[in-house]
Amino acid sequence: MSDIKDDEKEILLDHDYDNIQELDNPLPKWWLLTFYGTIIFSVFYYAYYELGSGPSLSEELREDMQVVEAKMREADRKAEANIDWQALAKDPEALAVGKSIYDKNCASCHAAQGQGLIGPNLADNYWIHGDGSMPEIAKILKKGVLEKGMPPWQEILKPEELQATTAYVYNMIGTNPPNPKAPQGEKIEL
Amino acid sequence: MSEKFETFSYDDAIVKKFLLATVIWAGVAFLLGILIALQLAFWQLNFNTEWLTFGRMRPLHTNAAIFAFAGNAIFAGIYYSTQRLLKTRMYNDMLSKIHFWGWQLIILAAAITLPLGFSQSKEYAELEWPIDIAITVIWVIFSLNLFGTIARRRERHLYVAIWFYIATVITVAVLHVINSIEYPVSLLQSYPVYAGIQDALVQWWYGHNAVAFFLTTPFLGLMYYFIPKAANRPVYSYRLSIVHFWSLVFIYIWAGPHHLLYTALPDWAQTLGMIFSLMLWAPSWGGMINGLLTLRGAWHLLRTEPIIKFMVAAVTFYGMSTFEGPLLSIKSVSALGHYTDWIIGHVHSGALGWNGMLSFGMIYFLIPKLWKQEMYSKKLMTYHFWFGLLGILLYYISMVTAGITQGMMWRAIDATGRLVYPDFVETVMRIVPLYYVRAIGGVLYFIGFCLMVYNIYKTLKAAPKDSKEEVYKAMPMEANPEKPDAKWHRRLEGKGFAFSLLAFLAIIVGSIIEILPTLNIDKYVPQNVYVDPFTPLEQTGRDIYVKEGCYVCHSQMIRKLPEEVLRYGKASSIADSMYDRPFQWGSKRTGPDLARVGGKYPDLWHYRHMLDPRAVTQNSLMPAYPWLFEKKIDFMSTRKKLTVLQNLGVPYTDEEVANADKLASEQAERIAASLATELKNLDPQSPVTAKSLRDKEIVALIAYLQALGTKVDDSELVEASE
Ligand code: HEC
Ligand code: HEC
Repeated sequence: MSDIKDDEKEILLDHDYDNIQELDNPLPKWWLLTFYGTIIFSVFYYAYYELGSGPSLSEELREDMQVVEAKMREADRKAEANIDWQALAKDPEALAVGKSIYDKNCASCHAAQGQGLIGPNLADNYWIHGDGSMPEIAKILKKGVLEKGMPPWQEILKPEELQATTAYVYNMIGTNPPNPKAPQGEKIEL
Repeated sequence: MSEKFETFSYDDAIVKKFLLATVIWAGVAFLLGILIALQLAFWQLNFNTEWLTFGRMRPLHTNAAIFAFAGNAIFAGIYYSTQRLLKTRMYNDMLSKIHFWGWQLIILAAAITLPLGFSQSKEYAELEWPIDIAITVIWVIFSLNLFGTIARRRERHLYVAIWFYIATVITVAVLHVINSIEYPVSLLQSYPVYAGIQDALVQWWYGHNAVAFFLTTPFLGLMYYFIPKAANRPVYSYRLSIVHFWSLVFIYIWAGPHHLLYTALPDWAQTLGMIFSLMLWAPSWGGMINGLLTLRGAWHLLRTEPIIKFMVAAVTFYGMSTFEGPLLSIKSVSALGHYTDWIIGHVHSGALGWNGMLSFGMIYFLIPKLWKQEMYSKKLMTYHFWFGLLGILLYYISMVTAGITQGMMWRAIDATGRLVYPDFVETVMRIVPLYYVRAIGGVLYFIGFCLMVYNIYKTLKAAPKDSKEEVYKAMPMEANPEKPDAKWHRRLEGKGFAFSLLAFLAIIVGSIIEILPTLNIDKYVPQNVYVDPFTPLEQTGRDIYVKEGCYVCHSQMIRKLPEEVLRYGKASSIADSMYDRPFQWGSKRTGPDLARVGGKYPDLWHYRHMLDPRAVTQNSLMPAYPWLFEKKIDFMSTRKKLTVLQNLGVPYTDEEVANADKLASEQAERIAASLATELKNLDPQSPVTAKSLRDKEIVALIAYLQALGTKVDDSELVEASE
């Protein structure tokens, strides 16, 4: 038999399973309220989103993306409006940013000093795309060459970062790193 | 009157067997857990060895924890308590023995096949089809034994613990059978009949309810027996038992889609998953309340009795995780927490806290009863408790912190509309220290467990050798007819079959309403969207991806969230995975999503990355896969694979099926040739040639990776909507 307190005798059920007994306490009020609350909330929630006018997940995503894309365009416009490439190419701060971006994102394909690995040598005077000028390099970085394995960076790097990386790559030209990959593309003298 | 008494004895030998098996497998599961925890912190522990690599060890750990440790604990508790609650011996000793040995053999089969890479990749249902059949057979034997015992009982009414056992037996059978409908390709490989969203929905209906009906309902049954026994107190509220039992089994079954929020699953199913999870909160807490308030008036035992400590901690963790579960099911919370370590923390507060602590309490309760010998040391029991508790707390706090930290980093978008942390590895590096903390938590838990093993060893050594079964007396059930004024539920408790039927109805309603509509997958894919199936070589690569368990670290599901679209590309649609057997949406992102990785990198990138991830991505913690560069592709099996897939409805032409091996080797030839040239360009000494490469598994895997996200042509649809 269980150890029963005096005030429990009233609600003790007349039953015994392997000496286990049961009281018949009422359901706790707060517990019942929680249960009813979640049920009522659920009914309204389902009705609003699935039967009523609530937005679908795709609609919510579309709206969120519009906001993000507007921010992107605005930031790009600002960054491109007052770019001074020549100054940037000599700005040590920008070059430091460019180097850290390059080491993290580009070295895996173009090798640590730009000598080329999976992607082409960036330190030589041969170019598959463009003429090796900074605006042209920036263009390739932005759009990439997806079918050849060069990812587009426009939506990944912030505009200032992309410009800094461009300056960094531009400064690599002609540095003659060891173990260069064979030249690809047209030779262009700056 | 006295001649009406019947005498009988209980089969405690089988309980002892299950109990010892519980202890042994617990050790295995915990050690595997510590290994994989450390592998994530320190990749070198993958040992560059195929059958020790994380992708294969993690399923082994989860299976060992759920089916070997918790499974045996459940059976030990059920076999012990059922006989006593029904005042009768188990229906058939032979069935009990077959159940025991069959189950251990199944575990052994899992322990062999999973490291070898034979896996269906469906979480907690990884075992291949012959083992699935064995599980079904053993489960039927267990059910027969249980229902036979119920039929022969000497107690008219079924106690609440038995209700939970009945719900367990029925539902696990339904879940296992429906989720395991698969089409064999060979002795140890199969494809599920379900594809894409169907497979995802069925799998998470199963996966979630494995937690519900394998790790919750049976343990609630055990709680209802062992807590009143250990505390010698009456159960708090019979009424609460009724209400929370029925609401729990009815509502639980609907909640599966909360694993799939923001995915390509249709919105209505996601919303059902969320709201039923919310409604589950109170029914779950009903169990906690009944467990804790049963101890009302016996709280002093908490100070002195280690068994009560374990049980109170278990029920408290149950309450915690069943509050956190509904919280995580809220869409906006899931957006942050899903795919992160938060979920891993959540699971372990349930597994280590609720299942583990309750099992330990039960073991300490049962050993003196079964072996007629007091536990060797009460002090060691108390130490076990504190080590265990500290271990869980370290585990839980570190993983929730890691999960929320990484989740916040993944979603951070700055004023320029770009991701603040576009570099995935950076978000991993941030939480690696927490992986070490987690491992320390696991080790503490394991130390506590070792104290228990030592304690049990000393106890059993001192136990008396002769153990004759005791004889009990009771009147047959007929001697105790139903009272005329009994209420309807009391009457129902006297009818085993009607009760079981009702429980079955309670779980089948939600199952049908959720699963049936998605079986017609074509309905969800617009007419003008064209989807190509994988080429034979890509499909072969896919099977390698499944075999290596890449899905334990990589998802293939870009959720409908702006941060995911920025990081991984267009949100995944139903069409993207409509021929995927099995689906590979994943549940945890230790690495980035791969749904659209096709074409993102050149073949050479993948070649170098799979050989040594750190050669390409500094600080990566992905394992290396050197064996893929040696093992050969089995081209001949591609025909069999395509035949099966064609039978399952994938639109391959007969010609493609007939020439599958040829098509595969041609594609492999092309990839190998261009890779070999590029490798020569880089290093003229490179020994790799097109010929040496073209039949290696790595080529098939690269073909598959490059195909991901490239198979759907929805240009007409996009034009139409613009
Ligand atoms: C996954 C490998 C990969 C990564 C990462 C990568 N690139 Fe490239 N990149 C390539 C490939 C391949 C090409 C050649 C494309 C072609 O042949 O059209 C290329 C081409 C280029 C070119 C044009 C070269 C020419 O000769 O015209 C530039 C400039 C460049 N990459 C810069 C970068 C920068 C800067 C980064 C980092 C932000 C970067 N790449 C990251 C693979 C990569
Ligand atoms: C232990 C977890 C883990 C396992 C298992 C794992 N990966 Fe990874 N994977 C990572 C991490 C972390 C990264 C990110 C760092 C990197 O690029 O190596 C990654 C990156 C990748 C990438 C690059 C994705 C991108 O967009 O940059 C690919 C492709 C990949 N893994 C494929 C695989 C394949 C195929 C398998 C199975 C054979 C696999 N992974 C198994 C953790 C894992």
